Amino acid sequence: MRASIVLIALLCLVLTPAVAAAQDAATLRREIEQLQKQLQSVTERLQRLEAQPPAQPAPSATPAQPPGPAAGAPSSAPSAADLLRPRQPYALYQQRGAGQLLFDMGIAGDFVGNITQGNVERAGGGTFAGRENRFFPREIELSLFGQVDPYAAAVVRIESGEEERAAELAVHLAEAHLTLLTLPFGTQARLGLVRNRFGYTNEIHEHDLPWVDRPNAFRIFFGDEGLNEKGLEVTFVPDLPFYIEALAGVFNGDNETAFGRTSLRHPLATGRLRTFLELGDEHAVQLGMSVASGQTEEKNQSTILGWEGRYKYRPEGSLHPLITLTGEALYSMRKTDVGVDQNGDGANDVIDKRQRNHFGWYTGLEAQPFRRWAGGVRYDWSQYPVNPGWEWSVEPYLTFWPSEFLRFRLAYKYTDRSPQTRDAFNLRDASARRVDEILFQASFILGAHPAHPF
Amino acid sequence: MRRSILILLVALAAGLSLAPAASTAVKIRVVATIPDLKALTEEIGGTLVDVESLARGTQNAHELEIRPSLMLKLRRADVLIENGLELDAWAEVPVQGANNPKIVRGAPGRVDVSRGVPLLDVPSTRVDRSMGDVHPQGNPHYSLDPGMAPIITKNIVDGLSRFAPESRAAFEKNRQVFLERLDEAMARWARAMEPHKGAKVVVYHPQWIYFLNRFGLSQAAALEDRPGIPASPAHLTRVIRQMKEEQIKVIIVEPWNDLKLATRVADEAGAKAVVLASMVGGVKGADAYIAAIDHNVNALAQALR
Repeated sequence: MRASIVLIALLCLVLTPAVAAAQDAATLRREIEQLQKQLQSVTERLQRLEAQPPAQPAPSATPAQPPGPAAGAPSSAPSAADLLRPRQPYALYQQRGAGQLLFDMGIAGDFVGNITQGNVERAGGGTFAGRENRFFPREIELSLFGQVDPYAAAVVRIESGEEERAAELAVHLAEAHLTLLTLPFGTQARLGLVRNRFGYTNEIHEHDLPWVDRPNAFRIFFGDEGLNEKGLEVTFVPDLPFYIEALAGVFNGDNETAFGRTSLRHPLATGRLRTFLELGDEHAVQLGMSVASGQTEEKNQSTILGWEGRYKYRPEGSLHPLITLTGEALYSMRKTDVGVDQNGDGANDVIDKRQRNHFGWYTGLEAQPFRRWAGGVRYDWSQYPVNPGWEWSVEPYLTFWPSEFLRFRLAYKYTDRSPQTRDAFNLRDASARRVDEILFQASFILGAHPAHPF
Repeated sequence: MRRSILILLVALAAGLSLAPAASTAVKIRVVATIPDLKALTEEIGGTLVDVESLARGTQNAHELEIRPSLMLKLRRADVLIENGLELDAWAEVPVQGANNPKIVRGAPGRVDVSRGVPLLDVPSTRVDRSMGDVHPQGNPHYSLDPGMAPIITKNIVDGLSRFAPESRAAFEKNRQVFLERLDEAMARWARAMEPHKGAKVVVYHPQWIYFLNRFGLSQAAALEDRPGIPASPAHLTRVIRQMKEEQIKVIIVEPWNDLKLATRVADEAGAKAVVLASMVGGVKGADAYIAAIDHNVNALAQALR
């Protein structure tokens, strides 16, 4: 008897889950069938809706509700259930939109090519010295920029490009600066590694220049890289009925061509005054004056003054300026160490300090009759900061923009140097006194790029 | 001598005591990036505001030339009203050149009126520049649709009230008066466009989607190959063929577009090119918001007849 009871109890224990499982399976089957019916009904309804023409909104000053969540409403990441639900096609885009990165980034690419005489190549006397008769990436630039917080904005630019013939491409920091935007009394401060706001051209990056190459005077007085310094500059825009911007800066003075003292104990001081005149809606002129004063590596004083002017004529309704006239002048005043042979034995006996005041300028005229095409010419004349002599050049060019983000430019440049400069451009038994060059440029922009100033 | 000094001091004190009274009468200096927003801010602000626009009605608001004169306007601004959605992203350059902390990004004086606008043309797939100058956040030309004015003006009221909270009631009252006028005009525009519901039009630049949608019209094609990319001859040939096949009667042209090209295409297709005000002030007589929409509705309705 006891054995029978135990057996029955065991049978109950084993069979109860089996019966429950069978009941569960039946329930599940029913639920699945029900879900299938619901799915079929929804599918048919969806097909009917899709077949209907889209509804037109009734004209009313009161608009329909926004398709997405109301702006300003608290948002959260979508759950798995949210993702499975039918949704508008751009709902996911909004969840990972452009704002997620919190800053902008863009890439600018600038490739140049040049063809010139063999003797110019041997002498290293072309516009792109040491890279004559080559096609090369001049500037590939990654730009990151945006707001740091409500009080400051920052820019970081990392660059690479061929600086010497067939050399390995090196990546370097071209700019990294912080701008304090909320200072009082119409002031603003920028600190870090900056392209100095000296004149019109210096601040402009290679790919944004209105010509293939930087004007001769700037290359001669500041070197190929231009004035690119580490320090602090402050601008002041007074609340006046006309526009005027005053700038003052203090920098290390790292530029080897013009300064080179590299110390804040003897800093490079810069200044600029810029104003702007609008002559009706169609004509506008920007005028400015700059100064940079520091010491050279030899502890000699060096000061460069700059003047700039830019005029644009843009007919009413035109998408681009029809005529642009640009001009800048530089005046360099520096002391240099000169060896003096006092007894005529061929050896320098004393070092004498001599004043060298030299001048350079350029002017460029551009006409853009069509949206995609522009043509112009630039004339350069410049002395050298220390050495005697001068050079002039003329450069007609043609620019073609397939779109706002892509540009091709073709130019011819003729350079003539004075006889005194022959030694400076007479290397390996070759002369670069007269230079003919065909220049070619292709530039592109990927992603974000800030608007260009006037 | 002592008497003269006394008179001078009294005059100075009187002047100083009057100064606060004078300052309360000073208007809020507002700068709007585009003329539509200037016009709407003037409706809301009334006599309490002094509004300037950075762009003119005849200009292309996508790519404005950054002149230092824009910085001069922004230098004195208490409030900057911007369209947003990247249409006026160029404003960041003059803002940074104006040295005015009241309107830098994140400051209370910076007002983006696109907040809450139901956007159209929002890309549903990955976008890149092969599609032309696309706006990844959606089509930014919502101010051309008068039905969006309630949202835009609400944002303007909020923005102005941040600077002058004591004037919120006045702004709100001005807004209601304006919206009543707009409702009356809306009924008139709806009647004018009623016979043309469902009509297709070709646009030069795809910026009319909100306006067309409001009145039940649709955009069949654009003369630009892709947004911001000038048309190629092959593309124009395709558009002409499509216009003939679908009997499209109108090409909408903005004041800054090539009207000669649009007229040539329209002539080929047996249609009309009609210049609409892409912003307030874009055409003669469209000097206020309602006047600009009036012009656009009347000119389009007439061309579609």
